[in-house]
This record gives sequence, structure tokens and C-alpha cells, in this order.
Amino acid sequence: MNIISDLKKVATKSPWLYRINGGSCNGCDVELATTACIPRYDVERLGCQYCGSPRHADIVLITGPLTAHVKDAVLRLWEEIPEPKVTVAVGVCPISGGIFRESYAVCAPIDQYLPVDVNIPGCPPRPQAIIEGIAKAIEIWREKL
Amino acid sequence: MSNQVTLLSAVLLFPGGLFALLFGLALKGADRRVAARLQGRVGPPLMQPLFDLVKLGFKRTMVPSTTASETVFLGAPLVGVVSMLIAAALVPISGVYSPDPMLGNLLVLLYLLMVPGIVLMVAGSASGSPYGAIGFSREMALMLAYEGPLVLVVAAVALRTGWSEGHVISFSLTEIVRHQQVHGAFLFDPVMWPAVAAFVFFYPANLGIVPFDIPEAETEVLEGPLLEYSGPALGLFKIMSALKAVVVLGLGIALFMPLAPSGVLGLAVWLVEMLVLMLVGVTVVRVSVGRMRIDQAFAFFLKWPLLFAAASLAVVVVV
Repeated sequence: MNIISDLKKVATKSPWLYRINGGSCNGCDVELATTACIPRYDVERLGCQYCGSPRHADIVLITGPLTAHVKDAVLRLWEEIPEPKVTVAVGVCPISGGIFRESYAVCAPIDQYLPVDVNIPGCPPRPQAIIEGIAKAIEIWREKL
Repeated sequence: MSNQVTLLSAVLLFPGGLFALLFGLALKGADRRVAARLQGRVGPPLMQPLFDLVKLGFKRTMVPSTTASETVFLGAPLVGVVSMLIAAALVPISGVYSPDPMLGNLLVLLYLLMVPGIVLMVAGSASGSPYGAIGFSREMALMLAYEGPLVLVVAAVALRTGWSEGHVISFSLTEIVRHQQVHGAFLFDPVMWPAVAAFVFFYPANLGIVPFDIPEAETEVLEGPLLEYSGPALGLFKIMSALKAVVVLGLGIALFMPLAPSGVLGLAVWLVEMLVLMLVGVTVVRVSVGRMRIDQAFAFFLKWPLLFAAASLAVVVVV
């Protein structure tokens, strides 16, 4: 049993990230793609890596208020991600709908449909906040593994 | 009986199997870390690819409902890993290890080197995903382009060795290494320089890194053939590519630069040479250039590497 828990500790050093855009304005996506995650703050230090395929993902970052148009596609994509996975809602939109709340075209909050593990509020959130969110997600992932 | 034990340990422990796997993963880790440093980042730990493998072991393997055949889908990576295990046992380390002729020669190694490409093509088309199908067609075009120069390079080396040793052609890796230890490495032989150049173009394409990672381009076809793989099955592909790095770089050293003292020192020299080949030929290229289109890569390989390789073969025949 000891070896298994050691291996799990090693496994959590390799969280692969996958981004889903749930009808976001792209503000949070820019923060994820260019500021927080790869070049400047370098989350590759934590072993993180963006993957192109949902099947390779461990930590799912969802942005946007989940517009009615993309809702089914996002839910289906989320199902395609193999367990164990951790869902992180990035930005205020998936939490409450943000500036789009009470719109007829928006299905936020997102936790009506998916179990959200970590919320990172902000419009857009600061890179430091995103990195802290990912670090929290890794802790939750360790327990799920 | 003892012969079988030696063969088995060559395939499973050293220089194939466990040793090649760990060294291949370390090479990949060094590649990622140095790439990060060149881009002004800190980068992941050296053994990050090993952590990735352990992680993939804990994930669930999903088989897509669109798959053509579950057996082929899950069997393809296994075939790839086994072929690379045998190939890794075929690569000589000068002064330390020379492969048993029972296991095969340079021609067998050439065929085994084609297996990972074919496995990716089979995997991509068995997944039933349109991205896999695009990856399949790109992998096939790229293989057609780079296999030609490789065959000519190998033929040039084999002819040069064979003629000086008194028979026409020699496909024995042990003999090629021994010949260079006596007569000097082909790297310092002007007749062989075009072949060296062709090989330098070939190995990034075979390893599937940036200017030539067209079949698995993440930003275009979402990793193509690997798109539908998850968990341990994806881990097998990672093992295959780590072993392949060792085999391809080891083949390059055996063909052109197999000079080393024997024993532990020889092994150390070999490890350093492999690392230098990886960092100079792969990492620096990967962070400095963008990805080619498949038609550009195809035209490039049919122009320069093929020209160099053909020139090398012609010079060897004439001289």
C-alpha cells in the first residue's frame, strides 16, 4: 500500500491542463494561454502541460458563462475526459454569469451541470490567482487519485 | 541456454528495456528542461516524463465508440513498444556492448525503425477520429519522404565498410563499429560527410519534433493519431517514443562516431554523446523554428537529404 501512495504522490507532479471555452469573451482565455500558464509564470515547473486532446487531460479549466449555444458541446466534452479529473471554473462568468448574468442566452452558474472543484473569481482573474487555483486543484486531484 | 538468457537480458534490461527506457525518458526530460531555459523559463524537473508515465498509469483507458476495432486500437501501442525493445537491443555501444548476430543486423534494425510510424498510422485510423485520419495521411507522407534518405545513408555506410573489409557490403553493426575503431570514425572521413548531413536531417523527422512534427501537430490536428488515447495506452506510446529516441540516436553514433574507451568510461562517453545529439539536433532546432507544412517537409526531404544521401552513396561507390 505504501508503494501505491508513493506512486500517487509522484503522479500528482504531472497534471495536464485542458481548456474549455464555454462561450467566454476570451479575456480569461488570454490570461490562461499567454500570461498565467506558459511563458511568463511557467507552470511547467509544476509539471503542467497543455494538451490538445480532452482524453489526455487531468485538470479542466472552464471559462465563460456557458452560453445556451455551446452548453451541450461543453457537457459532452467534459464527459470525454477520463477519471480522475478536477474541474476548475476560471473567471466570474462560470460562477455567476458575470456581466452576462440574467441573459436569456446564458446557462450560468455552471455548477448546476458539472461538479466544480475550484472557483477562480475575477474578470479576468490575475495570473497569480490562476496559478493558486491550479495548485489547489492539484491537492484535490491527489485525494481523488 | 545461457545464450538465451543473454539475449533476454539484452532486450529487457541492458542496453534495451529498462536501461533504454529510463535513459530515453531522461533524454526527453533534458530536452524539455533545456528548451525551457532557452525560452527564459525554469522548466520541469529532469524526470518529468517519468512522472507523466506514472500518472498515466492511474488514469482510465477509454475506447471511443467510433473505433474500427478495439483489438487493433489497444494492440497497436503494444506492437510499437515490443518492436522498439528489440531495436534497442540491436544498437551497439562501442566498447561496452555489441549485439548478438542471432538478434539481427542493420537491415532488421531498419525495418524495426519503421514500425513506430506504421503503428501511429494504424492507431490513428483505428481510432475512427477524423483527426487521427489526417494524422495517418501526414505520417504516411512524411515516412515516404524520410525513409529514402535513411536507406541510402545506411547503404553508403554498409558499402564503405564492406569494401574496405574485403567483401561487397556489410550489414553487421558489430563489423561497422569494429571497422571504424581500426580505421577512424566515418565522422572524420570527408567521403562520408554528405551521409552525416543527410542523417542530421533525418533524425528530427523520425523523432517527430518541431519542424517535422506535422502528423502530431497539437495546434492543428490535436496530436492526430494520439488524440483518442488515454491512460495506460497513451503511456505505451510515450514509452515507445522514449525508446525510439535512444534507438535513433544510438544508430547515429554507431554509424558515424563509435569511438570510445571500453568499460564504464565508454558507457559514460556514449551517454554524453547521446545527450549532445539530443540537445543540439533536437532541442535547439525545436525552439528556433516553426512547423513546416506537410508539402514543404515532403519537398524538403526529396530535395536536400535525398541529394546528400545519393551523393554520398555515389562517392562511396566511385572512391
